[in-house]
Amino acid sequence: MTVASPAPHKMSARGVSVSYGDKQAVKDVSIDVDMDKVTAFIGPSGCGKSTFLRTFNRMNDTIASARVTGEITLDGEDIYSPDMDVVQLRARVGMVFQKPNPFPKSIFENVAYGPRIHGLASSKTDLEGIVERSLKRAGLWDEVKDRLSDSGTALSGGQQQRLCIARAIAVDPEVILMDEPASALDPIATAKIEELIHELRGRYAIVIVTHNMQQAARVSQRTAFFHLGQLVEYGETDNIFTAPREERTKDYITGRYG
Amino acid sequence: MSKPAAPPSERRPTDWKGAAMQKRIRRRYAAERRFRVLGAGAVILSAAFLGFLLLTMVAQGWRGFTVTELALPIDLRADGLKIERRQLATPAADLALASAGLEDVVQNAAVRAFGPEGDGYLAPSAWLAVRTAVKRDPSLLERRATVYVPAATGFDQALAGEGDPAMEAGVARLQKLGAISRGFNWAFLRESDSTDPVAVGIWGALKGSLLTMAITFLIAFPVGVLSAIYLEEYAPKNRWTDLIEVSINNLAAVPSIIFGLLGLAVFLGTWQIGGHVYGPMLPRSAPLVGGVTLALMIMPVIVIASRNAIKGVPPSIRDAALGIGASPIQVVFHHVLPLAMPGILTGTIIGMARALGETAPLLLIGMRAFIVTAPGGFTDPSTVLPVQIFLWSDEVSRGFVEKTSAAILVLLAVLLAMNGLAIYLRNKFETRW
Repeated sequence: MTVASPAPHKMSARGVSVSYGDKQAVKDVSIDVDMDKVTAFIGPSGCGKSTFLRTFNRMNDTIASARVTGEITLDGEDIYSPDMDVVQLRARVGMVFQKPNPFPKSIFENVAYGPRIHGLASSKTDLEGIVERSLKRAGLWDEVKDRLSDSGTALSGGQQQRLCIARAIAVDPEVILMDEPASALDPIATAKIEELIHELRGRYAIVIVTHNMQQAARVSQRTAFFHLGQLVEYGETDNIFTAPREERTKDYITGRYG
Repeated sequence: MSKPAAPPSERRPTDWKGAAMQKRIRRRYAAERRFRVLGAGAVILSAAFLGFLLLTMVAQGWRGFTVTELALPIDLRADGLKIERRQLATPAADLALASAGLEDVVQNAAVRAFGPEGDGYLAPSAWLAVRTAVKRDPSLLERRATVYVPAATGFDQALAGEGDPAMEAGVARLQKLGAISRGFNWAFLRESDSTDPVAVGIWGALKGSLLTMAITFLIAFPVGVLSAIYLEEYAPKNRWTDLIEVSINNLAAVPSIIFGLLGLAVFLGTWQIGGHVYGPMLPRSAPLVGGVTLALMIMPVIVIASRNAIKGVPPSIRDAALGIGASPIQVVFHHVLPLAMPGILTGTIIGMARALGETAPLLLIGMRAFIVTAPGGFTDPSTVLPVQIFLWSDEVSRGFVEKTSAAILVLLAVLLAMNGLAIYLRNKFETRW
């Protein structure tokens, strides 16, 4: 690690450990996340990849027994420092969850909620513009533009997940965390989400947790392989999948366990 | 020390068509039928009880809503009422009429019109009806007119065929005169308690109930819901919150009379809210004290129902809101509370219905007083519907029987209206999204 890095990383984790009570879920993980890159976390179930992802926007704070040590920075700022406003952090580091979880409100309200609570829109037309842009960016606009007042929960699973992505990008985040965003979707909806991730790359730093290795290979530029709470290997996706350095990585991606 | 494994025996193919299997199927169907019949029986039985209750109440109570009136020909000047017309315009008109002997004048007029027992046909409050009529139309002082006055309870019963023979003879005579008329008893909805069953009204108790309920709701709902939110969303899970949870559950099961004792001891005793009719302190028997007592009683119910409703909101909704940077309070008020509202309202209405029908704690804090005027505010002496029913059911006079039933019907109507409001609100909240 050089002190004066010419291109600072968007987010960096240094020696991060997470434990739930006595059980240590993540052990001493260090990783960098950059703009223009999609980073994929892969690994078998229970390897701590989702837990680690949730440290990036401090969603683990909601679990009383969770303890996080180490340092995570966003643009060089320690996000666990007392000065960091966690509400603002979560607006800057958005999240998309495994199960589509739209609010039981209208499609419009789902997307407008974030800009509204953060005061991002100056007027009603401005807000409508944000909603339209977000839905377009999430590739959902053409499907819902005539029924924005319908309930978000009435959409199909894939549409709901894209609505959740639109909701996340409506607050103009810098990083988007995706926790197995396609695991509850059928192959066609999955393909659409993956396509969407391609399109969103460059505008946001994207971190995606997936247990589908093909998906990681398709959407990401960098891949981190976790096992038993440890980061086994982190590198360019092409290298991980074609020439893994670690034996355990090789075993996992060739399907020996998982 | 494990037993040696039994040798694997050859398993015979299952005989799905055999006699034993057929018998089992028949038994299963019989059990199914039996259970359905029992269930339907239980529903029919409870519906029958309810129907019986309602029918009895309506059969007895409808007479409470009617009044028998007698057309009394009266000539106040000729009958010797000594009062000047200008006196009627003063605030002391009631006093002037009373001291001028209006009551005697009315009785004399009844004797003249209906015979020697004529004054017995009139309700004791009949002269008050004349007083009201005279104040409304002072020209009655100078002319002969017919005023409709309420009939006595005994007369009313004789009319229904339940009175004594002498009274029934009077009824027959007056029927021939055409002096009897029956109508809807508006006074019952307008007046308050009285010693005369003909003159009683439910308004005082109804207003007392509404004022008490308002206090109960204003205290129990916000405190109960806020406690539930705090316990569910903010409080750390430790021994203290466990203790609080157990206490709340126990509190919900405490008999209501204990809360009455608490109200008596704390609100009226220690805190001295009541006890001083004059001065800065508030009188006992007031909706304020009753409402606070009942609020304490139903608060645990609201807390428990609200906690369950809040628990029922899927965690994914909280995650979603937190994930786009909603603060904890925004999560609660924008997402959790609206989703939990139907359940919270249901619990609140159950609690309010319990409070509305509650008698015992209110007896202890003095809301069983005989109060003849409707309360003007939260600190005026008042009674409530169930206590009024209890008081009337205790009366000796037979006229109170139908009034009791009528009051029960009013109480049921208020309960139904409250439940209807709850269902409306619940549907409104549920269909908003």
